[in-house]
Amino acid sequence: MLNKELIDKNPIRHLNVCTESNVTSRMGLVISRAGLGKTAILVQIALDSLLNGKQVIHVSAGQSLEKTRVWYDDMFKDIVAGCKLDNPYEVYDEIMHNRMIMTFKESKLSRAKLEERMNDLVYQNVIRPSCIVVDGYDFTCADQQFLADLKEMAKSMELQIWFSAVSHRDDERVSASGVPAPCHGVEGFFDTVIVLQAAAKSECIDLNIVKDTTGVSKCGKVLKLDAKTFMIKEGC
Amino acid sequence: MKDLAKVRNIGISAHIDSGKTTLTERILFYTQRIHAIHEVRGKDGVGAKMDSMELERERGITIASAATYCNWKGHPINIIDTPGHVDFTIEVERALRVLDGAILILCSVGGVQSQSITVNRQMTRYRVPRIAFINKCDRTGANPDRVIGQLREKLNLNAIPIQLPIGLEGDLEGVVDLVTMKAVYFDGDNGETIREEEIPAQLKAEADKRREALLDAASMFSDELMEAVLEGTPTPEMILNAIRIGTLKLEMTPVMMGSAYKNKGIQLLLDGVANFLPAPTEVDNFALDLDKDEAEIKVTNNPDDPMVALAFKLEDGRYGQLTYVRTYQGTLRKGDTIINARTGKKAKIGRLVRMHADEMEDIEESGSGDIVALFGIDCASGDTFTDGKLNYSMSSMHVPTPVISLAIKPVDNKAQVNMSKALNRFTKEDPTFKTFIDPETNETIISGMGELHLDVYVERMKREYSAEVQVGAPQVAYREAITQRADFNYTHKKQTGGSGQFGRVGGYIEPLEEGEYEFVDSIVGGVIPREFIPSCDKGFQKAVVKGALIGAPITGVRCVINDGASHAVDSSDIAFQLAAIGAFKEGYAKAKPVILEPIMKVVVEGPTEFQGSVMGSLNQRRGMIVGTTEEDDYTAIEAEVPLSEMFGYSTDLRSLTQGKAEFTMEFASYKPVPKSVAEQLIAEAQKKNKER
Repeated sequence: MLNKELIDKNPIRHLNVCTESNVTSRMGLVISRAGLGKTAILVQIALDSLLNGKQVIHVSAGQSLEKTRVWYDDMFKDIVAGCKLDNPYEVYDEIMHNRMIMTFKESKLSRAKLEERMNDLVYQNVIRPSCIVVDGYDFTCADQQFLADLKEMAKSMELQIWFSAVSHRDDERVSASGVPAPCHGVEGFFDTVIVLQAAAKSECIDLNIVKDTTGVSKCGKVLKLDAKTFMIKEGC
Repeated sequence: MKDLAKVRNIGISAHIDSGKTTLTERILFYTQRIHAIHEVRGKDGVGAKMDSMELERERGITIASAATYCNWKGHPINIIDTPGHVDFTIEVERALRVLDGAILILCSVGGVQSQSITVNRQMTRYRVPRIAFINKCDRTGANPDRVIGQLREKLNLNAIPIQLPIGLEGDLEGVVDLVTMKAVYFDGDNGETIREEEIPAQLKAEADKRREALLDAASMFSDELMEAVLEGTPTPEMILNAIRIGTLKLEMTPVMMGSAYKNKGIQLLLDGVANFLPAPTEVDNFALDLDKDEAEIKVTNNPDDPMVALAFKLEDGRYGQLTYVRTYQGTLRKGDTIINARTGKKAKIGRLVRMHADEMEDIEESGSGDIVALFGIDCASGDTFTDGKLNYSMSSMHVPTPVISLAIKPVDNKAQVNMSKALNRFTKEDPTFKTFIDPETNETIISGMGELHLDVYVERMKREYSAEVQVGAPQVAYREAITQRADFNYTHKKQTGGSGQFGRVGGYIEPLEEGEYEFVDSIVGGVIPREFIPSCDKGFQKAVVKGALIGAPITGVRCVINDGASHAVDSSDIAFQLAAIGAFKEGYAKAKPVILEPIMKVVVEGPTEFQGSVMGSLNQRRGMIVGTTEEDDYTAIEAEVPLSEMFGYSTDLRSLTQGKAEFTMEFASYKPVPKSVAEQLIAEAQKKNKER
């Protein structure tokens, strides 16, 4: 563990698979309309895992390597801003050895491809991830088999895999538990689903955990997203 | 005097092997500067015109950028051919500094590769408007649309195609001009005869769609065009004008295409240079007024104003030093006396020539905005010349620090003399190439930006100066730095008969986040007399030259003095210098010093099937894999790897990937070495010291 304070102060711990819990795998989903902070949440989940000494793969569909990297730089700066840290650059340098970014065209995402890449990484001793975040996957043409495969892969490799998805204003379909389209039909594959919504008369964005079967996120806290920094806060 | 509005000063930049030199050869042919086309690796053994150095012709890459001049439809065009390899980036940077516009060449198969990204970044830094030319559309796997997508995604350019290829790969016949809506073919043995026809029926719908996109994009820059589009009456002139405005604002990059090798599309590209790239009068260039505390002054471009010119490239040719200059205002005339703003030295222009690769033509005068060469003027690259009426200096150029060095030893006396001549010339020509004699080993050390960079100079020494040298193993330029603040309070006292020495210096050293060295004088009450404050600074500067760990220079340190003492008789300049050196040593030992090593940003591009093994090879070299970008069956792997681990990587990569992958690297930052490596380096340094 690199810095206890950084980890303990970060409200994202309520969403992440804790070291104390028995949960070793999870499929998570963050869904919202465009521009509400999905990538920011995925990056915060990834950073929390990194600060816990774990290894992370960030899969980005459609976004460049450089842009993804900048997300990490910025979010880390925001996280350390709240803590007194003597050597933030050293910490960052150290954890970045445990992160890898893979950028793909959307159509290229398949379990076979992901698994092949991961095997390459593990075999070559580059990285052995315990967390994968997948940003930019297009759920409007989601392949159920792909999601089922990934869920199984998460279980067999003891991974948590987090996805982001965009919902659209003109598609009002919603599942019984409140998961909006286009993910309303695939919510069964996910253990945790977070819906982001702009909160009325507030500078914050509500982070609604509409589904959680792992139990680790039952912290009883109201989580919000600061609309300026996209940092997760407790209360608001 | 030429009409300035028609002059174009352009550069041709791209990734290695995208066909820059081939393209330049075609440009020279069509503008009738040369009368036959020679290929880069041609069977005729002549080599392309622009690759004038023997070594360049042999390796098929351009090393020093040659300047040339041509004329297209009444537009005088100065072209600087620039090297593609990242090790020679200073050449690209210097060229961009003096150019007004550029052609960014991309391979239709390779697309936007790592070097294109570097070059594009440099063009953005110098605000150079550019045209993209997608070359090699005749090659198997050619896909201009993919390249256009990459220009948008990877380079963030508003890339708008103004042409559509007629056929691709082996079937490439010509292009559809989306401005005139004509199909253009290039007939004759060398594509010199242009034939315009109606657009082939099968391409009509696609051409209409693309023209609409072009009109949409271009009309953003011209209300006149927007109105005409709404009324359905846009003329080619209106469209060209709107594209020109967008290009000059750097908000649009027109994309043209063809194949230089197959002689297709080059004349249209020349039209594009004339139509879209700026004249010297349309570019804002700034000089620093040395009489007004370096205030920025916009140069006028007026040939009648006092003269200001920048020397951007030097060559030591058969007839003495050749200095390439760009005039920013005023007129350079043969016989004029000019003044070097840096040294204040006067010089007379004996000969003024216009360069055409390694041939030249004598001219009497050169107007503002022109690029010409002077003979026999002693100066360094980057110097500014004026006629003495002004005291301007063109803004300084960004020069990276060398990251690699190696020891060279002449094999005999003759080689020794020739080596000195060669080094003298190379260091004047190239600010990233440095040379010095190691005072401890007495060896001659050369340092530069990469293995290939130094390799080329060693080769050139051998070929051009017959200086045969033995080359030592490459050495990485390590640095030392402190990681925490530490106090010092040191007294230097010496009483050995005669006048004594006394000086006490108190204060602290601390890490400096930006910059190499800073001295802060916080002395109050005159405990150190004013006249000895500079002595303390001098002492600290001497101390940071060599760190205590491995003898590497110390970087990023602030030395603050806030206390001290002096003696009315025994204090002197040297006493305080020695006191500062002692104080620094005392503080340094407590400031947890570390060894830093240069870390390179390495990008390996190759077929996806080799991804795993390439990543493994980088990992073995203490590399940190930043990420991968996978597109079709091609992957770019980006990593940060210590330079010390990159020696010989090209050979390893070739064998790992059957020669199908290539890599580029550039300096990224200095980072602390791991503990185990530090221990090894310290042990080696101690061993060397003992041997001495």
